[in-house]
Amino acid sequence: MSLKRGLDVWKLGKVNYSEGLKLQAKLCSRRKSGEIPDTLLSLQHPPTYTVGKRRTYHNLLIPESQLKSIGAELHHTERGGDITFHGPRQIVLYPIISLKDIHFGARRYVETLEAAMVELAGAYGVEAHVGGSKCDTGVWIGDKKIGSIGVRISSGVTSHGLAFNVGSDVLDYFKNIIPCGIAGKGVTCLSREVSPRHLPLPPDGIIHDQLISRLSRLLGYNQITCREDINIAQ
Amino acid sequence: MEKAFSFFVSSIPLLKIMAARLMWASKTASYLKISTFHRGFSSVVKDLKYIDSHEWVKVDGNSATVGITDHAQDHLGDVVYVELPEVGAVVTKGNSFGAVESVKATSDVNSPVSGSVVAVNEELTGSPGLVS
Repeated sequence: MSLKRGLDVWKLGKVNYSEGLKLQAKLCSRRKSGEIPDTLLSLQHPPTYTVGKRRTYHNLLIPESQLKSIGAELHHTERGGDITFHGPRQIVLYPIISLKDIHFGARRYVETLEAAMVELAGAYGVEAHVGGSKCDTGVWIGDKKIGSIGVRISSGVTSHGLAFNVGSDVLDYFKNIIPCGIAGKGVTCLSREVSPRHLPLPPDGIIHDQLISRLSRLLGYNQITCREDINIAQ
Repeated sequence: MEKAFSFFVSSIPLLKIMAARLMWASKTASYLKISTFHRGFSSVVKDLKYIDSHEWVKVDGNSATVGITDHAQDHLGDVVYVELPEVGAVVTKGNSFGAVESVKATSDVNSPVSGSVVAVNEELTGSPGLVS
């Protein structure tokens, strides 16, 4: 008899970054106290630059005062990792899960997030790979990054997670930062990397689902419950 | 009664880790305060107590030194950044008092004891890339 491992997936659509932070904090706390099961948030953000715990603002190449004029916000977070950008046509997944319950350490968890993105790219005929050294965490196609990771683990419960570029809308915004603090490397997206026979890509929602499916399987879940039309203000 | 503790972490190779821990433990001897401690943990190594979230605490009579186990470090990966409390900060058993960053993940470090911080391994705070 196999162990039933359930994951609640919340499909949230576009969420402002600060709302996303508040929601994660709330869910993280509820997960720690056992009120809710392992939960995965699937969403997108409006144009937002974020820095992690180390506050690497020096990797933002334009003055903060200019951000409003390009329609972007800047937020600092407690996640690991350097500066990054979130925006339209980028899949953002925030697993709020107990690593203790699935017997994962931080490294294995991050490797699993990477593996899910590599698999997804592979499903579209794109050969992606993980970075070679500790500075190159994330998912790359050649020397261009397609997927980023920044995670927070508090009392064994995760928040934040991964971001995977599908459409090219975000690419110009990345020019204003040294992404993840790694100079000399570019960024890319799935739509730029697939061969013509895989175009047009399916709607973003389908690609979100595919990534959710791969990630949840790699994390060992065998029962997925999806929720949509959630009022995150409650 | 107040308990005193200091915090230590390292992800350098095993041989150096052991020596550094001993060195750190003796450094902290000068920061001791008189206190009692609860015998709540099961010991694996004499005087070295483990709790289930990968922090170890070594109680040396009057103070406790807190660190991260090798096991936890294997699971974390290379540590690139450490955030530790200031001397004088009060911490509570089971609550977070700092964090380590490795492989794009920041992990909170929880305190296995309650008390006030009397010493912090200054070499580990602040600069990314200093550890390991």
